[in-house]
Amino acid sequence: MTAAANYKLTELMTIRCAKEIEDGEVVFVGVGLPLVVAAYAFATHAPNMIMLTEGGAIRATPPEALAITVDDPAAFTGGDATFGMLATMAALQRGEVDVAFIGGAQIDKFGNINSTGVGDWSKKESFTYFAGSGGANDMATSGKRVLAILPQDAKKFVEKVDYITTPGFIDGPGARKRLGMIGGGPSCVVSTMGVYLFDIITKEMYLSEYFPGQSVDKIKANCAWDLKVSPNVIETAVPTEAELKVLRGIDPTGFYLG
Amino acid sequence: MDLDKRMTLKDAVAKFIHDGDTVYYGGFQIMVPMALTHEIIRQKKRHLTTIESSTDVGGLDIMVGAGCVTEIHSAWIMNWYVKAPYAIRRAFNKGHLKRYDISNFGATTAMMAGFMGVPFMPILGNIGTDMIKNNIMDLRIIEDPFTGRQTTVVRAWRADVAIIHAQKVDRLGNVISYGTRGVTDEFGANGAKRGVIVTAEEIVEPEVTRTDPDRVIVPYFKTLAVVHCPWGAHPSACRGYYGLDIRFSQYQGRYERHEELLPHFLDEWVYGCADHAAYIEKYKSKFGQAGLDRLKPKLGYTPSPKLGVDYGYHDPACWKGVPMYTDDRLKAFEEALAAKKGGK
Repeated sequence: MTAAANYKLTELMTIRCAKEIEDGEVVFVGVGLPLVVAAYAFATHAPNMIMLTEGGAIRATPPEALAITVDDPAAFTGGDATFGMLATMAALQRGEVDVAFIGGAQIDKFGNINSTGVGDWSKKESFTYFAGSGGANDMATSGKRVLAILPQDAKKFVEKVDYITTPGFIDGPGARKRLGMIGGGPSCVVSTMGVYLFDIITKEMYLSEYFPGQSVDKIKANCAWDLKVSPNVIETAVPTEAELKVLRGIDPTGFYLG
Repeated sequence: MDLDKRMTLKDAVAKFIHDGDTVYYGGFQIMVPMALTHEIIRQKKRHLTTIESSTDVGGLDIMVGAGCVTEIHSAWIMNWYVKAPYAIRRAFNKGHLKRYDISNFGATTAMMAGFMGVPFMPILGNIGTDMIKNNIMDLRIIEDPFTGRQTTVVRAWRADVAIIHAQKVDRLGNVISYGTRGVTDEFGANGAKRGVIVTAEEIVEPEVTRTDPDRVIVPYFKTLAVVHCPWGAHPSACRGYYGLDIRFSQYQGRYERHEELLPHFLDEWVYGCADHAAYIEKYKSKFGQAGLDRLKPKLGYTPSPKLGVDYGYHDPACWKGVPMYTDDRLKAFEEALAAKKGGK
């Protein structure tokens, strides 16, 4: 297990994120880096995971080549069932998905995610539209737990998101239950700077790991609320040469990993 | 009944899409009805409302940029290859576009309700978000009459007319689509009140359709117009025929990005082309036949595919080392922009 001398940030994020997936779990995979993470988890410690996409693919094996989108033909070739979005999203609503794995543009301390846009929606001239929810809202409402991967700076890690597209714990403890959500809410966030978990009592996101080259202070400076830090905070392990070798075969054109 | 519904792209759009219509916009991240998108722009249709779950490669973005669409109900609109819906962003900022956001399954469920002819349907998502606050046109919370618990419901969506692209269709209008079931065309199209306009890679005989009717997602009686249109989803993918044209989507996206540039793209690639065949000829003259050949899947990849369908293998490695598409206008604009930024 030789630690690698050179690796990209996207590679570190992917490898770290994959460790949140346990073998045998049903994982609903969103568009973006989650597609790379899923392929990597399949190829390493989670060969028995079940991959679902909103494009409608259900797979017991990794795509033979990286799917760039959730309904890329590559997501379907050699799949186990391709019933469609109706079937995979219905599995979410039936409570059969262990991990909902999403990206986003902005997150707040209760893990609410914004992928609709920044600014004040009611003042149309000031609102910068992104793509919108896609399936992220459905995934995070009903998945047993939610794994999110997104870039970090003080405009993206905010006290309150400009627009709640995808519910985390809304305004704190009890909110999800009150609203009748069947899923357990966010469990882990991997950013471009570190790894976050959620306090089981307060439901607030706290720093659990910082990436090599980062520090708690730097991360706090790139977070707009008074971020709590685990007393056991550690530096994230550097990827090994063996891990990188597997990962680099997954995205040969560098579409996601750069 | 043997009613031949074949017609040109131009006639189909002129005859069946009217200003002010609600249009189901087919496809998802693939199978986007791009030839129909271009024709709607060419014919300067106005005040359209679109419904769909999610849509990629900037098809809806350029339709908004060209001034055809004033209201959108959707979960996700993007040109993923430039990571933004630029024209939509600008139109919303100027107050030219009403946007009603909903989750992907919310949109799908709304179209299923329309497909089933019922007024609304319950859903688990969207509650607790700003989507439900800002989109009471589509989303409400009611009391479940059986349990008394609060339940989120979506209004049924029914288009006036649906536009979709498929692999095959027969002259009667039986639409054959396979291999990418994330696309919600069966709900959006069948739910359309007047019917469906379909472009397809191939026209087959009805006798061929009837050997495998499992593949039909829209039966002939829902179809208004049948248009033979190879490459009709380009630059999105049509499984078994061509993969995503990532480089062209990026190229188009760089035009979408700047308000001053987009009209040049529309002039060159839409208004400047009489039809979709002319668009493809233009592509070949600018980026070469090799650009199209790269998109073709390896056929025969799955040994003895069932039901005679050859899905092909769309190998993403075809993009390795392929340089970005550009042209002189785009280069000059982007260099001037960079110089301006550098000068500040």
